[in-house]
Formats: sequence, structure tokens, C-alpha cells
Amino acid sequence: MLRTVLSDLARLRLNGSVCSVTQVREKGHLNRPRLRNPYWFIRQQRSQTDDQVTGENRSFIKEVIHDTYGTPALIKGVQTYEQKQLIKTNELPVPTEPWTPAVRRCGVIARKIGQYPLWLKNGERIRTTLLQVVDNHVIKYIPPEEYKPTQRPNVHNLNRYGCVLVGAESTNPAQLTKEYCGIFRDSGVMPTKNLARFIVSPQAALAPGTPLNVGHFRVGEFVDVRGKTVYHGFQGVVKRHGFKGMPASHGVTKTHRRPGNIGGGGEKGRVWPGTKLPGHMGNRWRISKGLRIWRINTKYNVMWVQGSAVPGSTNGLVYIYDTILPLRKPQAALPMPTLYEQPEDEAPDDIWYEQVHNFKDESITYKPE
Amino acid sequence: MNINVRILTKSVAQQYAFKRIVTFSTKPTQQAAAAAVPQQQEVTGPTVRKPIVPAHYRFVYPEFLPDPKVEWRNAVREKLERLDMIDRRRQIELPEFYVGSILAVTSSDPHAAGKTSRFVGICIHRERCGLRARFILRNVIDHQGIEVVYELYDPTIQKVEVLRLEKRLDDSLFYLRDALPEFSTFDENMEAEPLEEGAPVPINDIKVVLRPRPWLERWERQNLLGVANIEQYIKDKHRKSAEKVQKPWEKYDLMKQYRATIPEEEQKEIFAEVHTELHTLELQRKRNKRKRTFVKPKHLA
Repeated sequence: MLRTVLSDLARLRLNGSVCSVTQVREKGHLNRPRLRNPYWFIRQQRSQTDDQVTGENRSFIKEVIHDTYGTPALIKGVQTYEQKQLIKTNELPVPTEPWTPAVRRCGVIARKIGQYPLWLKNGERIRTTLLQVVDNHVIKYIPPEEYKPTQRPNVHNLNRYGCVLVGAESTNPAQLTKEYCGIFRDSGVMPTKNLARFIVSPQAALAPGTPLNVGHFRVGEFVDVRGKTVYHGFQGVVKRHGFKGMPASHGVTKTHRRPGNIGGGGEKGRVWPGTKLPGHMGNRWRISKGLRIWRINTKYNVMWVQGSAVPGSTNGLVYIYDTILPLRKPQAALPMPTLYEQPEDEAPDDIWYEQVHNFKDESITYKPE
Repeated sequence: MNINVRILTKSVAQQYAFKRIVTFSTKPTQQAAAAAVPQQQEVTGPTVRKPIVPAHYRFVYPEFLPDPKVEWRNAVREKLERLDMIDRRRQIELPEFYVGSILAVTSSDPHAAGKTSRFVGICIHRERCGLRARFILRNVIDHQGIEVVYELYDPTIQKVEVLRLEKRLDDSLFYLRDALPEFSTFDENMEAEPLEEGAPVPINDIKVVLRPRPWLERWERQNLLGVANIEQYIKDKHRKSAEKVQKPWEKYDLMKQYRATIPEEEQKEIFAEVHTELHTLELQRKRNKRKRTFVKPKHLA
């Protein structure tokens, strides 16, 4: 008798320890959105209606835009507006903290404008891609305490880093929605076509309105370039994965560009995950990492970057970051938080890396031994 | 009155149709352009000013015209490229030459005995634009056909000499690879044959004799003008298949032509940008050449 009572008690205790979780069935806690887009993901273009605006009113709108943001101007090879109300470069705060390898600096928005070869001083030919920094301005800095993205980027200790919102390519605000223009109101920057956020250390924070130029990077250092690859649509296996296909003749029928066998039988009688098959090709975000900057042109804000494999099409948008590759981290200090260009600076237009042959130099010759 | 107007517009339209020029083809179109220019002057009268940029620049400096593919174009990139090209041209004389001209290229070579190598050959192909412009030289040396690809703006090139400035009947001479070796054999110690100043570039209408088949390409399909004996080696089946792949309508395809060329207005814009620089370089070179050729008579004691 006593034994049965004891065993019952033991069972009860056991059960109690297992079923400690109380099930709550209520509506609403499961369909919480997992991804909440940042506040600057808003509809950009206003629906263009040719409403009854007279020519006078149209010119009045233009006048107001020119009064607030300056007249249209070609600045560094990019059609934009003179934004004289922006930050005065000579009153800028001197950065208190120097650059260290642990600091994450802001990146820039650029356009891939083409590619052509350069030659090294030893006669070697290198292929380079030209990236033009297009009219970048800082729009907002969000300090680490306030920056809470729901979609967590894959960065260690995110709370250590803040976020800088950068805009590129000023555009006519009359074509944009009111909400989108509201993003730019506090910064005083003209609304831009493109926006990007860069995760930065608090030491590398930038004041709204700061222009970002190609001088942000140094010749000889390495950068990572992120872009969306060219879209090829739904492609077969030959184009998508470089399969060889099968012969054109010798009795081959109907399988000239097909993948052939895609798996074994028996235990493995199924298509294994990751098998290379036809599908959508391109139109993905890709980062090519560790590209050396061979040359910089400050007049047109252009940098020559190693290789011709920068993702995206010509005239497409790319984002340039300091490289994350540990062995290619910069050796010398980089401008912190960015290089403030002084108008009276007499910097040369073209800055060449020491190994690159300048076209103004004489032909390359080798010394006889 | 009406009839007059119609005739006039028709003639004007014909001239403009003629004047559209393919970027990399130099021959028939140039003749057309040359033929069209005096007519135009007749129509418009003496009030029209002479254009600043000479019309032949598009043939002398074809690599200054960008790739006509719209997706690859960018104004800033093209400008920077042109600046680099001019910078290089200040260092080295890159003379006018065409497919069919005989060149001698001296370039630095780390593996050569004197660290330089000189190659003489006929230019069989010229392609690409901007800094990647390149050409192929061909010669037969010790009974062995040799071809060297040179990049025009490669800084290891020390000197480009034109030994014989002339054109051939075709736009590229790849068929020399299948021709008898004497057609691509040139003396290494050949002397330069200077042309008179202002004289038109002569067209060499030599007909090349091919070796029997097998060939590297199906030459019978390419409507070559500079080959003598294609008929000798092809059979009826080749003739038939060549006829099948012909596209005689393509010369009327205006859109195709438009996509393959840089419009004339844009060409003018581009050359207006680089013209003064190129012109001063040309003058400078001419002056230097005269200085070099003038030999002071020796004072006989």
C-alpha cells in the first residue's frame, strides 16, 4: 500500500517537472511581422498626373526649388544642384578620435561607369573598372542605442555600431512623395534618387549634409564593392553553371545543352539539395571583396578598381565599403570620419598608385642586366 | 517649284544617306563621303563654314570613337579615356595606318637580348576602341607564319613606324593565314616608303592566292575582294551553302547601321574635344621630322 502511494507521488513529481510550460493560446503573438523595413523604405515616386498646372505655376515651382537648393550645376561630372546651404567645410569639427583598424567607416554610393586597362610600371597589363562616386551626402546618423534593425545584419555586437543614411544623386522633389521628401527635411539635403545605410562605429559618425567624395578612400587600399548582378532570366545549365553540354552530332539526339544525369539511385535516389540545375540567373546582390584602388581622379570623383568582375551592369549602382578581409586591411590611417575637401586645396586631379604607369610618363623600358 | 523642291530634298537625302559611316570600316564609305562633300557645297553655297575638324579624323583616329553599344557607354568614362589616350600620344607618335599597311613596332621585351624587340609585318586586323585599341601584325619568318597582337596604347611600345602606308580591298586580312606565304612575307630590314604630303592613301588591289582547302574559315561566304582563286577550290555544295547564308538586305537595314555606328553629330563633338590637341601634336611631329631629315652639307676643306 505504502509503496504504491510513494510511486504515485514520485510519478506526480516527475510529471510536474516535465509539464512546467503552460500553453497559452491567444491570437496575435504568432503573426507578429518578422521583418520590419526601415523607415526610409517608402514609396518614392509620386504618381505623375498632368494636372491642370499652368506654365506660370510650373515655373514658380522650379523657382522655389532653385531658391531652396540652388541652381542646377554640373559638379564633378554629375548633373546636380549647387547645395550651398550644406555643411561649410571650413567650420567642420576636427575628428577627435584617430583611425584604428577596428573602426568601421562609412561607405559610399557609386556608379559603375565602365572598364579599361591600365599598365603597371613593370609592363604588366591590368584590367580595371571605373567607379564614379555620384553626388553623395549624409542624410542622417542613427547612434547605436537607437539603431535597432529587425532584420539583424550579420555583424558582431551590433549594438556597438550606429548607422549612417547616405543619399546619392539629387533629384527634383516635385516628382517625389511627401513622405519620401520628409526623410531629408532635417538634414537640409536635397531629396536624392538613391539611399543606402552604412553601419559605422560611433567614432566614424558623420554630420548630416556632409558630402562624401572619392577622397574618402586612399589609392592602394582595398575595397569591397556590392552590387546587383546582371539579370539573365531563366537560364539553362550551360550558361548558368558552365556545363559543357553534349556533342552536336555522333548520334546525340535532343540532349545538346541538357544537364544529363542529376543523381544516383538506391539510398541516394532523389535530387540532392544544391544540385546545379536550370533556373533564374543573376539579379542577386553580390560583393566582390578586396579590390585594390589603382588610381583616383578627384575632379570627376572616379576610382579605378582592380578587375572587371564588379557586380552589375555599366551605369549600374554599387556600394563601396572598406574591405573586411583581414589581410587586406589598410596599413596607414584612413581619413576619419571622411575627407573634408577644402575648396582652396591644390590637390592633383589624378592620384596614381606607385606601381601604376602614368600615361604622362615615358614608355616603359627594361634595364639590360 | 514643287518638282524642284522634291529633287532638291531627294538629292540632299541621298547625300546624307551616303555620309553615315561605319566606325571601323574605312574604305568604301570614305570614298562615298569624299564624293558627297563637294556636292553639298554646291547645294548650300559659300555661306557654310568649313568644319573645324577634318573629315578624315574618323579614319585616322578610329579608336577615339567609343563602342557604339548603348549599354556600355558613359560620357565621363569616355572623356577620361580620351584624356589618357592624348597623354600617351604626347609621349609616342602613333601614326596613321590602316589594315594592309606595313608597320614596324619596337617594344620593350624583358626576354629579348637587348631588352627591345622589333617586329615588321602587315596589319591584318584593327579592332576595339579607346585604350584597348589593338592591331595584329603578320609576317612569315623562317617559313613560319608569325602574328603579334599589339595594343596601341601599351606603354611598353617604344616606336611605331609605318613602312608602307596603304589600304587593301578588305577590312580585315585574316585570309592571309590561308594564302601562300609569299603574300605575307615582308623584309625585316625594309626601308620606309614615304608618301607625298596630302596625297590620298593608295589602295593596293593585289589579289591573294589561297592554298587549297582545308581553310581556317569559309572564305567563300565572306564576299572577299582581295582573293583571286576561291572559285578554284570550292564545289557546288559550298557555293550553294554560301548563297544560303548571304544577307543582301543588310545593307538596307538602317537600324542595324545606326546601332553599329556613332552618329555624325556625336563624332563631331568627340573630335572637337580632342582636335586641337591632336593637331598640335601632328604639327610638332612634322616639324621634328623636317629637322631630322635636313642634313647639313659637309664643309669641304
